[in-house]
Amino acid sequence: MTDQVIYDRGYRTYDGERTGPSGARKAVYKDGIRRVLGLGRKAREKIYPWLMIAIALAMAAVVIGVHWFIGDLAQSLSEGVPSYGELFDLYSWIGLLFIAFAGPWLLIPDRTRGVLSVYFSRPLTVDGYLVAKVGAFATVVGAIYVIPQVVLHLGLGLISDDGFLTYMGDNLDVLWKVPVTTLAFVAMHGALALLLSAFINRPGIASAAFLGVLIPGRFIAAQISEASFAGARWTSLLAFDHLPRMVRDTLFRDTVTYPAEAVGFGAWTAAAVIAVSIVISAILVRSRYRRLA
Amino acid sequence: MGQDNIVEITGLTHDYGGVVALRALDLTVPPGVTGLVGANGAGKTTMLRLLLGLLHPTSGKMTVMGHDPETEPLAVRARLGYMPEGDCLPKDQTAADFVAYTAQLAGLPPSEARRRSSETLFLVGLEEERFRYLGDFSTGMQQRVKLAQAIVHDPDLVLLDEPASGLDPAGRSQMLHLVRRLGEFDINVIVSSHVLTDIEETCSWVVMLDAGDLLRSGPLQGFEQRGSVQVEVVANVAQLAERLARRGLQVTVEGLHLVVGPGDQKIEQAILEETAAAESGLVRMIRGSASLEDLFLQPGQEVTL
Repeated sequence: MTDQVIYDRGYRTYDGERTGPSGARKAVYKDGIRRVLGLGRKAREKIYPWLMIAIALAMAAVVIGVHWFIGDLAQSLSEGVPSYGELFDLYSWIGLLFIAFAGPWLLIPDRTRGVLSVYFSRPLTVDGYLVAKVGAFATVVGAIYVIPQVVLHLGLGLISDDGFLTYMGDNLDVLWKVPVTTLAFVAMHGALALLLSAFINRPGIASAAFLGVLIPGRFIAAQISEASFAGARWTSLLAFDHLPRMVRDTLFRDTVTYPAEAVGFGAWTAAAVIAVSIVISAILVRSRYRRLA
Repeated sequence: MGQDNIVEITGLTHDYGGVVALRALDLTVPPGVTGLVGANGAGKTTMLRLLLGLLHPTSGKMTVMGHDPETEPLAVRARLGYMPEGDCLPKDQTAADFVAYTAQLAGLPPSEARRRSSETLFLVGLEEERFRYLGDFSTGMQQRVKLAQAIVHDPDLVLLDEPASGLDPAGRSQMLHLVRRLGEFDINVIVSSHVLTDIEETCSWVVMLDAGDLLRSGPLQGFEQRGSVQVEVVANVAQLAERLARRGLQVTVEGLHLVVGPGDQKIEQAILEETAAAESGLVRMIRGSASLEDLFLQPGQEVTL
């Protein structure tokens, strides 16, 4: 038997490609997606995100199944089968619960575990870091909204009596209405979740604060908006959860009336408030991280 | 980059809203392993953060590897590695994943980042543990991962902030060995520490800070020649001491023994001349080497290195 030898390989220099700041941003983006989905993490960190994804896909499958098995009955009871717009009501709850988890999980651990000091010692700016994180967030959460709708759309096309292509041709408007509605939901809920996550250091508390602002918050805002003091109606716009739903209703011509609509605000006002919320959130989050860097 | 200085600093001052952390420093650091020593609060971490471009100087100029970190922070950071003193590891990632990720953050392509991650973890002695989660690592292992992420992308200069902090004696010895090896691999290193013996063990150049002021900067080798000299004579001790003191030397008398200095080689010549003049009768003269601690505890004494 020959003698065993352990070689010390020492340190190897690297003269290859260096991608610079764009490579750093891409790395943060990819790591953000992996973190939200629990990839490369312990099994328990995969459970929640993949459960939410499974529920969203299962809901699409159920709706397709309803059409498949009771198509004729569904036609006669068309009011009872959810439309694309109404499905957003179902998905938005999955999305809301997913965002409540994803926003804090994406931002807080880097900050509380001191990892930012390593990240910002690399060719990575605060803006680059935040843009990459927001990109990762939007990609995953957007997929939560869009992929089940795509599955539904293709499924309904495949089981349509008129044929797949005819169904697709008759429903072309879905191809832009779904992404625009998704954008409204992701933007409004995302801006709020990321803002809270930038200032709260415990993920559980940040999640609770996010849900607290959106769910009880909309009832409180609605009650105050009905009060008699001057300008009370404006508080209806603080029911942040209603704003993307108002956009959706306008696009899909649904007929739910939200408090903000009852006091005279329309979808354009809702869209404007969403846009302002994004700007305020971006300014505050950026300011917070510039101090941390 | 040849023998160019890796860091050049002119008139550098940094204050935190009125609290001066660094005061009008003029400093050059040559290639090699440099120790940045000083008590807690001396300004070491502020200095490292200024070199990284994470802080902006209140006044003064500096270049790191030929770049100004204030105006070209990304160019500087692309060629630097940094090991922070405090916690900086995500507990839910494996060592291999985290080190590969930090290599990608420095601009390495993913496949190369993963390969270098394995090699670097091997180098720091974590080849067996690289697929374990960082949350399961001991303090010593975490320090090694911190070192690995600082060097994985082959930086020109590595900044190590208290690398042996929190380690037991065995862990400290292993970490200092790793730092010495970086020097052997021709990686430029600036290592900050408040433990002077750590610097003596690892560095070829030393920069001493004290409450934001530069105390000394120079090669560590020269310090050995600046110890005090122990002298034993047979007579006239008081007269000899007085003569040496008149030459500006620090003298302590105990019986027939004198301790003269610290100072350079000129002390020996002065002792020989004054012993003869005082007719003291020289028995023996021994130079002791000065430790960094000796010099650090004598801030009033100017030493030219």
